Amino acid sequence: MQFSSFQEFIQMGGYAFNVWSVYGMFAVFLAVNLLGPLRRNKQIIRELKRRYELNAPAQSGASSANSSAESVGDSQ
Amino acid sequence: MRPHRRKRLGIILFIATGLSVAIGLTLYALSQNIDLFYTPTQVAQGEVAAGQRIRIGGMVREGSVVSADDSLAVEFVATDYVHDVPIFHEGILPDLFREGQGIVVEGSLDTAGVFQASRVLAKHDENYMSPEVKAALDAAGASSESHQMQPGT
Amino acid sequence: MDWTWFHKWGSPKWFYELSGKWLPWLVGSMVLCLTVGIVWALLFVPQDYQQGLTNRIFYVHVPVASISLAFFPLMAIAGTVFLVWRMKLADVVVKVAAPLGAWFTALALASGSIWGVDTWGTWWIWDGRLTSLLLQFFLLLGVVSLRTALEDSEGAARACALLSIVGCINVVVIKYSVDWWNTLHQPSTDFSIAADQANGPEIWVPLVFMILAVYLFFAISLILSTRNEILQREKRSQWVMELVKRS
Repeated sequence: MQFSSFQEFIQMGGYAFNVWSVYGMFAVFLAVNLLGPLRRNKQIIRELKRRYELNAPAQSGASSANSSAESVGDSQ
Repeated sequence: MRPHRRKRLGIILFIATGLSVAIGLTLYALSQNIDLFYTPTQVAQGEVAAGQRIRIGGMVREGSVVSADDSLAVEFVATDYVHDVPIFHEGILPDLFREGQGIVVEGSLDTAGVFQASRVLAKHDENYMSPEVKAALDAAGASSESHQMQPGT
Repeated sequence: MDWTWFHKWGSPKWFYELSGKWLPWLVGSMVLCLTVGIVWALLFVPQDYQQGLTNRIFYVHVPVASISLAFFPLMAIAGTVFLVWRMKLADVVVKVAAPLGAWFTALALASGSIWGVDTWGTWWIWDGRLTSLLLQFFLLLGVVSLRTALEDSEGAARACALLSIVGCINVVVIKYSVDWWNTLHQPSTDFSIAADQANGPEIWVPLVFMILAVYLFFAISLILSTRNEILQREKRSQWVMELVKRS
């Protein structure tokens, strides 16, 4: 352990601003790029659900969805 | 791999190689100007005219730092251990400025051959260690610090 | 040679299902490495003989900056696979990697700046390393905006793939800038196994944890965004409909 007190830890030997702003930016960077896609995933599933429900009566039945095999992977 | 795919891969490789060669040649042509600083040897060889705004990189010669008592003025010698350049600076120095430290100074040579620096930057080397390890290495006479700044190519 | 494994990899459905199984393990390992790395770096690494406690910034800056160099090679490989084999999943990777790479590069530049302001005495200088990394940031923004600027999605995909391949040249420049030219930025460190030498284990062991953590984070974030993009592109396929209904 390099520090004898919590205060000393916060002060970072006079480099408090530099060290804590970099670690703060790192935390924001991690949060944005993990929580962002997770929230987007929920949003997409909600949107698709609504979309399928709107289209469902017109298509008369769930089995009418086509192209499941064709749209997958390599086209040739 | 099917023939039309092999052909496609060939075209991509051709474009990528062509662009790489073009960019490589451009960079090679520019490389003389990309260097951030001149070394004291280049200055001694007369590559720099007085009054021209340039940067010089070197080590602060041990025992050469003279600071004024009543102002922020400081004089020292920048060296690459082949040639020396006397430096004069008035202003703030970075935290890492000390004797034996690699530095980069910005400014111009005056007619007396003294470099009037408007800015002094510290060049940190690539070695990280605790003060204890540093002291032990110094005691063993194996300090890597003198290899810190190689003269430019 | 049997290429079925390769084509299986190109199946979005297959990737979606498999990555769903990997994610908990990846997240678990990342949290572990990140906790060990940050606690070690902040609390236990000895202060530097010159820099004092600013050396804490090293443990964020170095992993983020070194991994930011992986983006163009990754996008170039994926772009080549897309151009040659027309594999849609490869284009998805090119698309989602670009903005993430811009984040990585921006953090590398910003953390380096804050590190430099007291140690070098300046927060910015146009030296070879800093300038070429800034160029990478703009190239990545270029890939992102090329995608949105071109209406034709097939044409945009091809243009982005080609720009990714060309952008790799800049990675070589960034990597060797500190050796080719005089720069203010220090060269790469040679780490030492001996405890009584400079750059010994007390310096690099916590760095290894941080590099692993940031690599895992890179993989996790890329997989999450890839899955989102797959859902949107495959929204008309049966398996996505079933997946949405089940959730």
